[in-house]
Amino acid sequence: MEQAQKTDVIVTAGVTKVYEADGVPVNALNGVDLTIRSGEFTALVGPSGSGKTTFLNIISGLDSPTEGSVWLAGKVLSEMSGNELSDFRRDNIGFVFQAYNLIPVLTVEENVEYIMLLAGVSKAERHDRVIVMLEAVGLEGVADRTPTQLSGGQQQRVAIARAMVSEPQIILADEPTANLDSKTGADLLEMMRHLNVETGMTFIFSTHDPMVMEGATRLITLRDGQIDTDETR
Amino acid sequence: MWWILIKLAWRNIFRNKRRTLIAATAIGIGLAALIFVDALMIGIAENMVRTATASFLGDAQIHREGFRDAQEVSLTIQALDKVTTGLAQEEIVEHFTQRTLASGMITSPANVSAVVLVGVHPPTEKFLSQIDEAITEGVYFAGESSRDIVIGAKLAETLEIGLGDRVVVTVAQAESGDLSQEMFRISGIYQFAGEEMNSGMAFVRIEKAREMLAIGNAAHEIAIKFTSLAYAQDPTLLFWETYSEHGNEVLSWTELMSQLTAILEMTQYSKYIMGAILFGVVVFGIINTLFMSLYERMFEFGVLRAVGTRPFGMARVILFEAGALAIVSIGLGAILGFVLTAVFAHVGIDYTGIEMTGVTMQEVIRPVMTVEQFTAYPVWLFIFTIIAGLYPARYAAKMSPAAAMRRSF
Repeated sequence: MEQAQKTDVIVTAGVTKVYEADGVPVNALNGVDLTIRSGEFTALVGPSGSGKTTFLNIISGLDSPTEGSVWLAGKVLSEMSGNELSDFRRDNIGFVFQAYNLIPVLTVEENVEYIMLLAGVSKAERHDRVIVMLEAVGLEGVADRTPTQLSGGQQQRVAIARAMVSEPQIILADEPTANLDSKTGADLLEMMRHLNVETGMTFIFSTHDPMVMEGATRLITLRDGQIDTDETR
Repeated sequence: MWWILIKLAWRNIFRNKRRTLIAATAIGIGLAALIFVDALMIGIAENMVRTATASFLGDAQIHREGFRDAQEVSLTIQALDKVTTGLAQEEIVEHFTQRTLASGMITSPANVSAVVLVGVHPPTEKFLSQIDEAITEGVYFAGESSRDIVIGAKLAETLEIGLGDRVVVTVAQAESGDLSQEMFRISGIYQFAGEEMNSGMAFVRIEKAREMLAIGNAAHEIAIKFTSLAYAQDPTLLFWETYSEHGNEVLSWTELMSQLTAILEMTQYSKYIMGAILFGVVVFGIINTLFMSLYERMFEFGVLRAVGTRPFGMARVILFEAGALAIVSIGLGAILGFVLTAVFAHVGIDYTGIEMTGVTMQEVIRPVMTVEQFTAYPVWLFIFTIIAGLYPARYAAKMSPAAAMRRSF
């Protein structure tokens, strides 16, 4: 494991999650062992209820496993306090959600710089990095707009800019193209792949979109809370 | 960091303008009600005190020790010249007047009644009492006649007499206790809102009263009017010690009308209780509003937590929202409270003739605005709002990001 922590970004060992649904225990994950290496562009697929969401929640520290351990960037998540986990997520993980990614009362610039504000980055540096990131995702000139003034595709691009602006090791995305038309989805995927190649950041996303699955360098299929297939391309 | 959270909170409360406006109006009405009730109670208290002190009592009185309890005619004020000379030089004393007081009988051809015979010095008495203003028939000691007597309308009715009729007053003389009788002619009849003054008092010139009571140039009472009523409620003044010498006692209206003082204190307590009830309603209103807002934005809160906002950061967002709501509510409440109080202060509330704790209101009540109503109450409301925000803030801080974002990861 010591060796694995140095090169592997995410390692899970026997991760199990049991929920209580109306008093009935439901096994969302059953002893998942998985290693994600840095720079991978991984798609997590599977039918609804297969455990994709639960798995992403657990590897990002948003939820805790009932059994098993998660190592992320060499740290054991279960050993961290609430504040440590918050700081760890801020510094190491970028999130892109399916929709409602952005805080509607903040402008695009404020949304993107929010994480840097949490990290105490100076105003000038924040501004510079926001401009660079918005250029990188093809959204020059929208910094002062609010999310409601942008299209769905533009909002997802802003979310990607926010996720990447603090240069985290990992980007976790939950069906990022689900609410986009195929052309916009393809453009977004292309942009994410480009950033993955350029920056070496690790991307993990859950998806039902065949186009996204096609573009992934690794395809992990979950079924009934267990890894069904794991294919590297 | 604080700035972005404050910005976030301020903009958030205006996302649902209607709800914020309704909540802020409800809270504002609570504040306005508190401001108005406080102003009204001050108005009532001032009215009662003014009525009590201006009618006849004065702001303070000097007596010989023991006189108020025993009502002995022989218990006159000691060192009267020294006392009056001193009072004349006091900067805080605007006016004072001497009186004699004696229980006696007043007899008409038709009837007889017990009465307090008050010997007054009309030129100075007019500054200390409102008998002259309350005259409904005749005049208030206009001529030089020592046999003029002024009585209340109720007493006149009892005695079945009118202006110009004759009455006989009988009192006991000091020291000897011998009865002294004098005939007077009704020169004036007054009508006060209070029954006691209308039926149980008769006023004659002090010189005649002294002669009847055989007390020389003495007096039983000196009524004092201060340049400000506030002096009457300041026990630290040297004045109280100075005039409590030679066996005399000086008492402010608060001691002379202790029941009124007690009622005014009780009024203060009832104000606090009402304030607590209003703030209690406000607190639950705020908690409800914040929770509604929080539940609507669960996913956003989940996002904020996911991207690295610490639990305390989440709590701060809610507390800032509570603070922002308080500021809007205070603005609305202060304006509403000001307008409401200003309107009633201008128009007045007519309680004339209504008796409260022995004091009959003689003027319309006008609510009185104070700086405290627009500073202390808003500050308290703000503090209460923040305290109310602690519960939803704690909820937000302890919220699991995964649970908050059920729809996503």
